[in-house]
Amino acid sequence: MGSVTSSRGAALFGARDAVGAAGVAMAATFLAFGAAVREAGLSPGWALLACWAIYGMPGQLVLVQAASTGFIGGILPAVMGAIAVNARFLPMAIAITPLFGVAERKRLIPAIPFIAVTPWAAAMRAFPEIAASVRLSWFLGFGLTSWVVAGFAALAGFYVAGMLDDHARAALLFVNPLYYALLLAADLDKPAPRRAILCGAAAAGLTIILPSSMGLLAAGIIGGTAAFLWGRKRGQR
Amino acid sequence: MDNADIALALTALACLLLRSAGVWLAGGLGGDHPVIAWATAIAQATLAAFVMLAIIAPSGALADVPLAARLFGLGVGVAVCLGFGRNLLPALLVGVAAMLALRAILAGVA
Repeated sequence: MGSVTSSRGAALFGARDAVGAAGVAMAATFLAFGAAVREAGLSPGWALLACWAIYGMPGQLVLVQAASTGFIGGILPAVMGAIAVNARFLPMAIAITPLFGVAERKRLIPAIPFIAVTPWAAAMRAFPEIAASVRLSWFLGFGLTSWVVAGFAALAGFYVAGMLDDHARAALLFVNPLYYALLLAADLDKPAPRRAILCGAAAAGLTIILPSSMGLLAAGIIGGTAAFLWGRKRGQR
Repeated sequence: MDNADIALALTALACLLLRSAGVWLAGGLGGDHPVIAWATAIAQATLAAFVMLAIIAPSGALADVPLAARLFGLGVGVAVCLGFGRNLLPALLVGVAAMLALRAILAGVA
């Protein structure tokens, strides 16, 4: 991959990478999401728009959950909850932007909608082996492909909802956290990610004492800050 | 527009602003700036916390799967990943199969 220097070639590599394990995880997760959308009484168009416009599964699920109760608590609390669980987009965007090696911010505008967990985590893993000049192309190829997979998987899930029993749905829902766990495990030999993973996992307990919509955000901020300070103390990154 | 459409539009707009703000904030910083390292640690810690919660205390259909089966699937998947060149797809498939297998065994025992 490091030998690829053309934008077209890098975009094709990105698209290819997106249909491997990432594609399986994405398809399984969004298939289950499509089924949940149908059960909440929403339309297939809503499912597709939620996938492509939000492109952050925890936030999407918060809205579906609220819709299934008829927004009994109001629209604003549901929206705030969805934003809180997707607030990780901010640190993810900050972390990945310098890695593109692009001086002009406006050149990154096409990449902005694709900054989400799966493309971000895959990029953080792949970028060291990709020439800086074509990383943006790789990311666009990966992001666009996984975006399309997500949308069509959600539509498929909507239409096959009745055929999915609890066993099938459990298997689909297990694929997503397992895929992220594997991405993290693959980074355990690097000091900085290892510290962040350990601190984040330890801080997950905060969700027990905090509201569920805020718990994950708090765990990320506290765990990540602890890992950052730990690394500074050790004088290594 | 009904409530679901309004909620979707507002959430989508907020998510776009979050992503754009991150790109704008980081645009003037070098890759070795401490803010970048801090943001990266927060993003990775958030992902680790998400995985922890999804495996230990999931909601929905996954909550009906015994904890032992979830942990077994996770352990087998990670072991295959680390033991076979960090190849994610086989590890993913073997991990899911392991979870389903132990779930079936436990259901048969119960």
